[in-house]
Amino acid sequence: MSNKKQFTPVERIKLASDGLRGSLVQSLQDEITGALREDDQALIKFHGMYQQDDRDRREERSEKKLEWLYSFMIRLRLPGGFMTGEQWKGMHHIAGEHSTGVIKITTRQTIQLHGILKSHIKPTLQSFNTYALDSIAACGDVNRNVTCSAHPFRSAVHEEVFVYADKISRMALPKTRSYYEIWLDELPLTNKEEEKDPLYQDRYLPRKFKIGIAIPPDNDVDVLSNDVGLIAIVEDGILKGFNLAVGGGLGTTHGNTATYPRLATVIGFLDTEEKVMKAVYEVITIQRDHGDRTDRKLARLKYTIDCMGLDAFVGELEKRCGFPLGEARSFEFTERKDHFGWNQNHQGKWYYTAFVESGRILDKPGATLKTACYEIAETGNANFRFTCNQNLVISDVLDEHRTQINGILENHGVTSLTEHSTPIRKSAIACVAFNTCPLALAEAQRYLPSLITRIEPLLKKYNILDDEISIRMTGCPNGCGRPTMAEIGLIGTAYGKYNLHLGGDRYGLRLNKKYRADLDEAQILNELDILLGAYALERNQTETFGDYIIRRQIL
Amino acid sequence: MIPESKLNILQDLVKTSSREELIWINGYLNALVSTAAEDGSSNGAPRSMKRMTVLYGTETGNSKKLALQLTASAKKNGQPVKCAAVEQYKLEDLEKEEYLFIVISTQGEGEPPITAKKFYDHIMEAALKLPSLQYAVLALGDSSYPLFCKTGIDIDERLALAGAKRVVPVRMLDVDFEEPASQWFTEVLSELQQSDKLIPIATATKEPAKKQIKKHFSGTIIKNINLNDRGSDRETYHIEIKATEEMDYEPGDSIAIIPSNRREVVVRIIELAGVDADLLANTGKYEGQVLDLLLNKLNICYLLGSTVKKYAALTGHIIPDMRLDLVDLLRIYPLKNASQFHEVLAMLNPIAPRLYSIASAPSSDPTEVHITVSRHRFLKEDEQQYGLCSSFLGDLHSGSTISFYIHRSRQFKLPALEKDIIMVGPGTGIASFRSFLMERDNTAATGRNWLFFGEKDFTTDFLYQQELQQFVQTGVLHQIDLSFTKNHTKKAYVEDNMKAQGEMLFRWLEAGAHFYLSGVKDPLTGKVEEALIGIIAKHGRRSMEEARIYFDNLKKEDRYHKDVY
Repeated sequence: MSNKKQFTPVERIKLASDGLRGSLVQSLQDEITGALREDDQALIKFHGMYQQDDRDRREERSEKKLEWLYSFMIRLRLPGGFMTGEQWKGMHHIAGEHSTGVIKITTRQTIQLHGILKSHIKPTLQSFNTYALDSIAACGDVNRNVTCSAHPFRSAVHEEVFVYADKISRMALPKTRSYYEIWLDELPLTNKEEEKDPLYQDRYLPRKFKIGIAIPPDNDVDVLSNDVGLIAIVEDGILKGFNLAVGGGLGTTHGNTATYPRLATVIGFLDTEEKVMKAVYEVITIQRDHGDRTDRKLARLKYTIDCMGLDAFVGELEKRCGFPLGEARSFEFTERKDHFGWNQNHQGKWYYTAFVESGRILDKPGATLKTACYEIAETGNANFRFTCNQNLVISDVLDEHRTQINGILENHGVTSLTEHSTPIRKSAIACVAFNTCPLALAEAQRYLPSLITRIEPLLKKYNILDDEISIRMTGCPNGCGRPTMAEIGLIGTAYGKYNLHLGGDRYGLRLNKKYRADLDEAQILNELDILLGAYALERNQTETFGDYIIRRQIL
Repeated sequence: MIPESKLNILQDLVKTSSREELIWINGYLNALVSTAAEDGSSNGAPRSMKRMTVLYGTETGNSKKLALQLTASAKKNGQPVKCAAVEQYKLEDLEKEEYLFIVISTQGEGEPPITAKKFYDHIMEAALKLPSLQYAVLALGDSSYPLFCKTGIDIDERLALAGAKRVVPVRMLDVDFEEPASQWFTEVLSELQQSDKLIPIATATKEPAKKQIKKHFSGTIIKNINLNDRGSDRETYHIEIKATEEMDYEPGDSIAIIPSNRREVVVRIIELAGVDADLLANTGKYEGQVLDLLLNKLNICYLLGSTVKKYAALTGHIIPDMRLDLVDLLRIYPLKNASQFHEVLAMLNPIAPRLYSIASAPSSDPTEVHITVSRHRFLKEDEQQYGLCSSFLGDLHSGSTISFYIHRSRQFKLPALEKDIIMVGPGTGIASFRSFLMERDNTAATGRNWLFFGEKDFTTDFLYQQELQQFVQTGVLHQIDLSFTKNHTKKAYVEDNMKAQGEMLFRWLEAGAHFYLSGVKDPLTGKVEEALIGIIAKHGRRSMEEARIYFDNLKKEDRYHKDVY
């Protein structure tokens, strides 16, 4: 890739944006449209929003001489996926007042609301602010929400590790005050030096940037899918430091062979907080300085590293850090799924992990999860955590409140749904896709549940309904639902058509590969019928479906 | 005998006057000459100190407004005068009146305003003897309806029959009544000044309203779209009609659609009457096969009380005084024999047309007209005026054909290309302005265009949103101000936006802009006019009184245009 190539239009927009302000204020005042001006559509991502439209309604709206039904998705910055009960109550009301009402847990452990009209953005963000919630840098070419293992009871050092998510998130926030000025009516700075940004400068990053923290043996965050992965090293119940992994990223582009999914490479060990912060910071600066700004499809850190060469990258990093990386410590992941039901941590606090299909918290007949959450929040006796598997953890419940909380969960059918859903359904992930994601080629969250309903009888037929096979579906190859890290990956290619990927492991350590292209539902079921039948018959003891596929060289 | 300069003026006057006007001038001069002869002077017109009463019968407030104007003008001339609504008038006072002026409108099918019904019936039916009364009638109506100004004409004739003397002939006014009304006031008041020597124009000139020849077009519906999105409580239809030939119309005009009656009802009527569907009939007004007349020409719904009475007289039934559908009359009070049906047909009034502002421009395609119809308005009017008999709107699916004619607007017209225009058109008021904008675009008008639009919900009710966006993008629409009641708290209505933009609005007016208002009359008209006068006062630094004069001048200069319904 030659330096003579032109920078992408987004680069120009970022540079000219005056600290991500652009003409957002004017765009909001354009009363004739529910959309933003084109350049501002790129900038608003840095403020945690995407402009979307209801793709189901395009044709009909056009016929009616109405513009497309534009609305905005707002994603919170929620390091480590934690919210107090008080914040949840606020979220509940804000969702009801300004959005579709569905509260969506994302695959990156945060919350997003959909269907917010342009005129509602400001009131929504102002309401969030009263609950100390914000959406700064939740999207855009900056560091996004920092994820962290979501199950506190699994480790005594969880609390200690969890605070890193918040620290890193703060460190990597853009310094511009534009969010506060535009959305919260803060007065403009008189001295612009105050928002000078040594990390992002005025260029920001060439592409999105993701950081995740895992505490082995749990890899619920899919740590190797991140640009920067930190793997906590705990010895004798004491946090010794973190292995540093770099260059993960799953997005590809159909038909572009230069693109590929990549797992992060573990490059060393960091033994102090200071070193951790410094190393993460400098990985970002290397990406800022060396990332490809001429082609957004090749701009993620994974391509920067592969372009520089791993050794050169590590050398550059050590140079910038001013200290060498330690030798990576050994670690083992044996779990990726969530731990459903009640569990207790070392201090005696209780945690209930509830199954949330596709992460969508809403009231359905038989399972009124949204109301349950609200009632729990109202008791003031629990916090809320979100997992990268898009499930919900009712957290920090004292022993004396457990009965009360459990009663609410039972009353609203949450315990029943969690207990009676099959393992494959509970560990499944689907991205949003239609009707709001502009990138979607095929359905995902609206479709995967019904596909699983058709897969379950196959599992039953082969007596493997209890098997925890991981299945993930996305509507495009950009990887939001991490489909390339599943045992069964379905990646949309066109409406109703999916590439079938197989051979991923169960714990997020091995990518899968494309097995068949452009299958419709009948073909998917037919392929799975054959493969699952063979797996049930021929698998070794404890062998997973993904491992079986590899051993039998089915790919 | 007179200098050429005066002769020229006289000849000019004669040349440009109608026959009615000449008769009036004749009378006026006669009276003037005889007065001058007796007084020995031509000025100092004697003042009548006789009682003068102005009565009005109104449905929409127009008659009242005119009656008050006449009253005010008379007072200025020193004429004692009282003014009252007919429903508040003591009928027994009629015989004591000396000068009586009646301003009254005619509704849909030739009826008086609801509140004037008692007065009208009294005039029409009581045995009146009014030999000492002098009077004149100002009749309001809408020339697109068949029985134009009928109420006023009836009253005028009836008073003459009772022996009263016309001061001036009955004047029939169409929808743009303001100018001719003030002319009529001048006539009336100058007659009063001659009162002692008044030459009654008793013989006058009961000319039928000039029959406008209306060209009927046959059109095919090529599109019928509900512009409101799902979830809206509005239903506003954009209907495109393709005619078989080019139509001569201008932006600001309307089309009049004569809806057909429902076929199943007509079939039932023919069955009940016991006649053949293809029987030829002549109602005096129409001639044709019974089926066609009942389907397309004659109103069969919610018949007038007077028609029901005639039916009762014909058939010998005792029928309560109420409005009924023809099908029910025939069912409950059958004809004696089928031959009576001819007479029944003759009693029926023509189907009243429905008027809709044209939303397209002839410069885009002279063979097409578009209209913007609110289902609410249609249903409400239909229920109130026509008895919900027509399924017109529902029938207008693609491919169906309708008959219509162009109803011209005299005052709601675009100004010269270089003039700026300000358009206030919430809801279906947008229709004419879509036409205006298309025309201004097509004719490369250089004047600026400013639109105030309002509806309920931005997301579902922004009528013609994409087209308006395009007008903005292409520079045709220079300024647009939107108000959506559901989405705004401070700027919920068009008048709120006008006030918010008052300074610029006044600047436009000062620069000669024309102001247009279109939409559902109430309460829009009052609010917008009040806002406008307020803006003139505030930003023109004028007293309210001066602002009103400024506003009146806009009207006089033909820069204030209104098309409300």
